[in-house]
Amino acid sequence: MKKLWLPGSIVGLIILVAILAPLLGLMDPVRQDIANRLAAPMDGSPLGRDEFGRDVFSRLIWGARTSLGVAFASALIAGVIGTAFGLIGGWFRGWGEIFTVRSMDIILCFPPVLLALLVVTLMGPGAGTLILVLSVLYLPGFARVTYAEVLSARSLDYVEAVRALGAPTWRILFRTVLPNVAGPVLVQLSLAVASAVVLESGLSFLGLGVVPPSPSWGLMIRGARATMEQAPMLLLWPCAALTLTILAMNLLCDGLRDAVDPRTPATRRRIRVVDRLLPGLLPAAAPQTEAVLDVRNLTVEIATPRGAIRPVQGVSLQVFAGETLAVVGESGSGKSVTATTVMGLMPPIAQAVEGQAWLGGRDLLRLTEPELRALRGGPMAMVFQDPMSSLNPVHTVGAQVVEAIQAHQKISYSDAWKQAEQLFKRVGIADPVKRLRVFPHEMSGGMRQRVMIAMAIANRPKLLICDEPTTALDVTVQAQILDLLNALKRETGMGMIFITHSLGVVSEIADRVAVMYAGQVVEQGSVAEVFGNPLHPYTRALLEAVPEGDEPPVGIPGIVPQPHAFPVGCRFAPRCRFATPACEAAPLPLEEIRAGREVRCIRWHELTPTEAAA
Amino acid sequence: MWWLLRRIGVSLVLAWIVATIVFMTLHMVPGDPAEILLSTGGVAPDPAAVAELRERLGLEQPLMTQYGQFLLGLTRGDLGTSLVDEYPVLDEIALRLPRTLELIFAGTILAVIVAIPAGTWAALHRGGVFDRIASGTAAFLLAVPVFVVGTVLVLVFAQMLRIMPAGGYVPFAQNPGQHMTLLAMPAVAIAKGLAAVVFRMTRASVLDALSRDYVRTARAKGISPTRVLVRHVVRNALTPVLTVLGLHMGTLLGGTVLVEYVFNWPGMSTPLLRAVEARDYPMVVGIVLTISGLFLLINLIMDLLYAALDPRIRTA
Repeated sequence: MKKLWLPGSIVGLIILVAILAPLLGLMDPVRQDIANRLAAPMDGSPLGRDEFGRDVFSRLIWGARTSLGVAFASALIAGVIGTAFGLIGGWFRGWGEIFTVRSMDIILCFPPVLLALLVVTLMGPGAGTLILVLSVLYLPGFARVTYAEVLSARSLDYVEAVRALGAPTWRILFRTVLPNVAGPVLVQLSLAVASAVVLESGLSFLGLGVVPPSPSWGLMIRGARATMEQAPMLLLWPCAALTLTILAMNLLCDGLRDAVDPRTPATRRRIRVVDRLLPGLLPAAAPQTEAVLDVRNLTVEIATPRGAIRPVQGVSLQVFAGETLAVVGESGSGKSVTATTVMGLMPPIAQAVEGQAWLGGRDLLRLTEPELRALRGGPMAMVFQDPMSSLNPVHTVGAQVVEAIQAHQKISYSDAWKQAEQLFKRVGIADPVKRLRVFPHEMSGGMRQRVMIAMAIANRPKLLICDEPTTALDVTVQAQILDLLNALKRETGMGMIFITHSLGVVSEIADRVAVMYAGQVVEQGSVAEVFGNPLHPYTRALLEAVPEGDEPPVGIPGIVPQPHAFPVGCRFAPRCRFATPACEAAPLPLEEIRAGREVRCIRWHELTPTEAAA
Repeated sequence: MWWLLRRIGVSLVLAWIVATIVFMTLHMVPGDPAEILLSTGGVAPDPAAVAELRERLGLEQPLMTQYGQFLLGLTRGDLGTSLVDEYPVLDEIALRLPRTLELIFAGTILAVIVAIPAGTWAALHRGGVFDRIASGTAAFLLAVPVFVVGTVLVLVFAQMLRIMPAGGYVPFAQNPGQHMTLLAMPAVAIAKGLAAVVFRMTRASVLDALSRDYVRTARAKGISPTRVLVRHVVRNALTPVLTVLGLHMGTLLGGTVLVEYVFNWPGMSTPLLRAVEARDYPMVVGIVLTISGLFLLINLIMDLLYAALDPRIRTA
């Protein structure tokens, strides 16, 4: 709304002055006074006189009246007729649509000024002609906007319900569709008025619009051109008035459009240099680790308009060569943020404020972007969830795979292309020679994901992160992709992180599993242990939510809390049926009950007595 | 291939509809063209002269016959002769169209080479100083009417600073330097609105492309930032920019009328304005048809480019 204030009041003022022009006690704008031709500013004429000795100030104000009168009249006529056309076309479809909406396309075949000139030829110049031309020009805009809104409104449930009840058509149109259309039509109206002011002044400038001696900004500029050497200000006043009016109207249009279409862009906080450097100032010694990837105590902070949030807090994960670690949890548990941070692919508003991520003796969180780039797609690679949106639609899949190869290997394009062929064969794409030359939209979902995998394994990574790679695929295709990933892992000995929310997938592919909830790891262990004997109530609840045999699945009440509203104590406590006041009192540690088996729950002893005894 | 043929077919049909509408409006609007043409200062013209002119214009024949002859003429490239000086309309257009096209071409090139890099840079540094200044400038340029820009350019550079000629035209072959000098200011005036529009669109679509998954994939591959920007961000952002460019060609073609008038550039607009004032119907029809045809042609070219840029269109 803030954006509407200034332009709104300027436009309002201009309209007010234009309406009140006769009452302002101005000099007669058309009275000539040759004695004072081109006179400098004087009493009663603050801006001086024009080439016929007429008062410039008075003509400016009366000019606003002419411009706005023509603009509003034409925009309103176009608005009423165009909206009616759009309603009829959208509601009745068929022939109604052809006559009212499709026919409008013809108007769009003429450049606007040209159509205006054609009509002026036929009818002669004048305000009436202008209004006619301009309203014809803006008809298609209104008709299209209304038509589109009606089409979408038609399919709304309540409109269909009202129709089914047998309400008369005109009543449905007026009661349900018009309110929906009002916003876009208002925007269209403001656009039409602004554009009409431009066209009116342009035609008047050419001498084909408003007929002299009526005051009009376009005519004033036309007249002042002849005397611009003696009196340049005469030219500048109407130019300034015209530009200011159009500028204010354009800004008002933009503001209105934003108000009607509330997709306000997010404001980005810019990162201070200190924030970037701070984690780098405290380097940690490389640990003695066998793991391919060793994430220690990772905390990610994101700056939001509502303050900083920590969607990932104190997460530690390890992946060893030749093993698959599954990371499971509901949406919003921080799985993807963890993986994306490790890859260095988070936007700059997200920062790893604590922790380390070791890959081959280097802490990924403290590497510069060029250093990270050398690792990404090389030693560490990632496969994303939706292969359609993750592949660039305008390049062939072959070119995209070759791009990945050439980013890390200094080889010729044709050699890279041959490698890509081998990769396609490896990931099970039949006829690789032909398939390399197709575009992503010409492939099936499963094939596209195979392309993504080929791209990821192109440079024999040590670590492959798969972020829900099968979620967007059919069940049968899912199984094939899982088999492929398993085979690739065995063959290459790479470590794999597999992010998913499907426990079925976990048991098929993973050796170990980390369960995440609200930005923390709540339980970790081998798949057999965690699934066979879950220690954390959340893991239990997840397992119970899987439909199995005749027993109906049990849902988990409530939802994952938002990062800015994480509970102080156990984050799962508000949804946990075993929660006690002690659970909610203070943050809980992740307890290591034996090597490789961890849980974040203070009641696990009581809840799982067998495990406690062991 | 089918797609291309269909698209060309649609353009031809639209061209025919435009021609028909122009013809019909001229002949069905009340008032006798011959009478209007011959009347001066409100004095009724000599009926004999009117009859003779009607005969010469072929207005005595049935409307459909006239329409048939008009279309037949069109297919042979015959647009008739001017009523004022009996000069063939087509010759006049052939002389002047290249000059108008040159203006449009220069303006478009200017707008594109300034606005696309500027829009990309502004998007990459959203909210920065450059972004704010450039976005403000674009809003201002959109608001200033093209004839105001032209007139002020003449006032400042020709009248006050006296470093540029106020307007005019010299054939390139005659004096290349002078030709380019004279082209500069009209081209800037033509470019100003288009540059603002292209800047805004580039900025918006680069911002959009930056947030796409395939850009993340490109970064995940470890390719250089320049390559990500050129091949995955700007390359994909160009498609919507091209659409907008095509849509604004109409405004641009209209804009040349004003710019040619301001700078005394002897393109299509001079005979058009003269013909409008003199009610020289064949000339008006010829020029309007040519420009509308050009408009359709530009849109066709834009669609082809669009398909070249976005492979999804080709198979759709």
